[in-house]
Amino acid sequence: MKKPTPPIPPRWADKLLRFFLPDELAEELQGDMHEQFEHQAEQLGFTKARWLYVWEVLRFCRPYFLKRRFLAKLNSLNDYYFLINPDMIRNYLKIAWRNLLKNRTFGAINLFGLVMGLTTCLLIFLYVNDELSFDRFHSKADRIYRIDNELKFNGNHHDLAVCPPQMGAVFKASFPEIENYTRLRWSPNILFKKDGQEQWVERAAYADSTLFSVFDFKPLAGDLSTALNEPNAIVLTRTQALKFYNSTNIVGQSFVTDRTTYKVTAVIDDIPKQSHFNFDVFIPMSGDNESKTTTWLSENYNTYIVVRKDANLAALQAKMYKLNHERIGLELKAVINQSLEDFLKSGGLANISLMPLVDIHLKSNKVAELDGNGNPDNVYIFSVIGLLILLLASFNYTNLSTAVAANRAKEVGMRKVMGSSKGSIIAQFLAESLVLSLVALFISYALLSVLLPSFNHLANKNLSLQEILKPQLVLSSLVLMLVLSLLSGAYPAFFISSFVPSQVLKGKISKGFKSGWFRNSLVVFQFSITIILLIGTIIIYRQLDFIKHKDVGYNREHILILQNMGPLGEHANSFKKELAGISGVDAVSVSGFLPVNYNRNNNTYFKTPTADFDGSVSMQRWTVDDDYIPTLGIKLLKGRNFSKEFATDSTAVILNDVAARKFGGDAILGQKIYTLQDISTKVMYAYTVVGIIKSFNFSSLRQEITPLALFYGQDTGNISLKISSQNIPALISQIETKWKALVPEQALKYSFMDEDFNRQYEADQRTGKIATSFALLAILIASLGLLGLVLYAVELRTKEIGIRKVLGASIRSVYSLLTREFMVLVAIAMLVAFPLAYFLMDRWLQDFVYRVSIEWWVFVIAGLFTISVALLTVSYQAIKAATMNPVKSLKSE
Amino acid sequence: MGRPYLGEFEELVLLAVAMLDGTAYGVTIATELKKRTDRIISLSGVHIALYRLEEKGFVKSELGGATNERGGRRKRFFSITGLGKRTLDEMREVRNELWSAIPKLSFS
Repeated sequence: MKKPTPPIPPRWADKLLRFFLPDELAEELQGDMHEQFEHQAEQLGFTKARWLYVWEVLRFCRPYFLKRRFLAKLNSLNDYYFLINPDMIRNYLKIAWRNLLKNRTFGAINLFGLVMGLTTCLLIFLYVNDELSFDRFHSKADRIYRIDNELKFNGNHHDLAVCPPQMGAVFKASFPEIENYTRLRWSPNILFKKDGQEQWVERAAYADSTLFSVFDFKPLAGDLSTALNEPNAIVLTRTQALKFYNSTNIVGQSFVTDRTTYKVTAVIDDIPKQSHFNFDVFIPMSGDNESKTTTWLSENYNTYIVVRKDANLAALQAKMYKLNHERIGLELKAVINQSLEDFLKSGGLANISLMPLVDIHLKSNKVAELDGNGNPDNVYIFSVIGLLILLLASFNYTNLSTAVAANRAKEVGMRKVMGSSKGSIIAQFLAESLVLSLVALFISYALLSVLLPSFNHLANKNLSLQEILKPQLVLSSLVLMLVLSLLSGAYPAFFISSFVPSQVLKGKISKGFKSGWFRNSLVVFQFSITIILLIGTIIIYRQLDFIKHKDVGYNREHILILQNMGPLGEHANSFKKELAGISGVDAVSVSGFLPVNYNRNNNTYFKTPTADFDGSVSMQRWTVDDDYIPTLGIKLLKGRNFSKEFATDSTAVILNDVAARKFGGDAILGQKIYTLQDISTKVMYAYTVVGIIKSFNFSSLRQEITPLALFYGQDTGNISLKISSQNIPALISQIETKWKALVPEQALKYSFMDEDFNRQYEADQRTGKIATSFALLAILIASLGLLGLVLYAVELRTKEIGIRKVLGASIRSVYSLLTREFMVLVAIAMLVAFPLAYFLMDRWLQDFVYRVSIEWWVFVIAGLFTISVALLTVSYQAIKAATMNPVKSLKSE
Repeated sequence: MGRPYLGEFEELVLLAVAMLDGTAYGVTIATELKKRTDRIISLSGVHIALYRLEEKGFVKSELGGATNERGGRRKRFFSITGLGKRTLDEMREVRNELWSAIPKLSFS
């Protein structure tokens, strides 16, 4: 068996040998070993030589070598200690500071970018931190769950945050894992009366007496454990107590209202902002009669349970599911004589899930939430944008420092010649970025305290100045700064420290600018992000504009809404007539149900009087008067409006065309539909369909229009007026006089429907505004980076331009020489950004049922805008360079 | 006498360095010792002895130039110092004296 020459010792043995040997001896010893191996291979043959080699290697594993190796390691560590020796650090900082002062323009550009990036990041950090801290202040927060129900029958699908009235009690009695439970339900507004004056309490809740043992609120007066025991008890928050009594020490005082007289039993501190419900007063659940019923088919109560520490949630949920089905089965049998099996077979579904308390704010968006919850998308989007902006700023730094590096090549060369190690040069450059970041951080903090109020306004938050100074934030911002300076300083540091002195001192490296593919890709990245943000902003605004002007199927311009008309009582009709008499008022309608508020009531309607679920439709039931349709300008498609002339109209119904379609189309006109009057008595009501109206959007444009039925009747919740008067203040004062005459003790509350409508999209408006700010910021930072690069490129090519001009180059050719390079980068950025932006915005729009399409001109505009900003940035410098007198640029040196 | 201790193997290696005069490095020393002593000589042992001798000041060393042999790795050449030479001389003298002090025995 012949092996090709020269013979090589086993590779693995060689590696092992290298491992034993101290660095400084490795070369000579390996050399000797190889030489001996060659001899032995010649004399004893290859195989034997290999064995001997391995044997010899093993014999190198001796304390002597290992000790030397270990000592060498220790010594090299000492070298690193030298790098962070106080004197060296002082030197780094001094040089860093001098360099900053020397390169003022670049320093300023860098600093500005970093300040912007850090400030944005800190603001977003505050925002996200706030959003994530919801409901964590309760001591049992991690063990509290809300019971959520998901129901499905006949194609009606409900994802509810509420339960049947007795679900909490039944579950607690059946399952030992549940330690406690409590229910909450919005109470109608309470009118507080004192000394002849009246004030509305708008945020009132019915609560079980266990409320304060499940949730932790800070008591200011009274005993919370018994506070809600008596039926006429009331618990106030601090703000309300101060508002009504000017004191928090008011336990035992009477709280007189339009309904009843309560007795204050406790005062709690204001509920923290980071809570998913926010009430002003709590009254006992016993005041709500419905809470005592045992029905299992009506969901109205937000029910919270505390589970034991050792509870198995999955098992608990499964048991709940089973018990829930049993109860539903019983109820179905009793009410409509349907078995649970049939219900499930016909596509019915009754699921129960446990929603962790701390997840409610961001993750839950179901029917009947206690309060508007946060938007997790915003948290994600803002976090990503904050990071991106920080990245942009740090890329600026990286880019400029690398570009300017050529100027410092000589310095680095000299340092190396004088014996400076690579490590100390890296440390030097990192120190520079650290100093800059530190300065940026200080400025950011100052800026933050100035900007916080406007940001609060923009993001609808209540972040306070103290929150900035929390150790948590200070610490994380320091970490952020360190990461930032490492991130942005690392590449320049390693790039520059790897210069070879012999070449650098000859002046070779200054051509480094050409080989800047790394810099170029950073620029492309920056502009891609900018373009994506721009496109995103334009599309968000287009969608918002679309919503604002969308024909929602009713007239919302020039509609005045008078609210809380309840106290009118039987005067409602005469007041309506008086209002109609005012000149400038075209139509008046009395109804509590308006497309812009959330007074909702779903019921199931049947085609036959036998309550056969087959073909039934779940519809909203709105009680309106005969002026409702004309006042709101709703289009009647078939049939007629309600009318006083038909005595039978009290049993008439008008459907929207979505509902009509579900009932089988236009044929339903003139037919009867049925509904259960009361689930326990099984008495059916019959209504005749007299008209079909065009569907109008009565909830958010994010949702499909659902079936709706209008019933003829009196509901004095609100009065809507269609007005044509130009002088609105005069009109309102006229209405106010008439109102005062009837209800002297209550102030008139009114609003305009278009404003109410737009309020539904406030969150989106805010997202839009914030996105715009970010997009502008991003383009600012990106252009600054570009400016820096152009400045540098021009500086580098001063001589080249001078020579070109002497040889007859025109200003235009010099200009295009300088700009072309950068424009190519922007063009590549566009290629990257367009598909990404399309994809992202398409996903955002999916959220709306009614949405704009993404049109090509959006991309054109974003592209043109970016190009013009970039061109503007580059042009100033390019023209300056191109028009410079070559004598000047060639004279020096 | 404050002279460092010199072990038996070290003495052999030192003698080899002196003998090879200018061409002494790991492999040549090991080969020489193998040839002359019939002992199992390992390179690592030779080197450790050499480094110890250097620490004690009996030999000095310098790196030779790179050659095409052994993958271009340089050799470390060892040469004996004045102290080394003197020490060898002294040891030899001591031994000679001791030898001559042995009573003449006859094995007749």
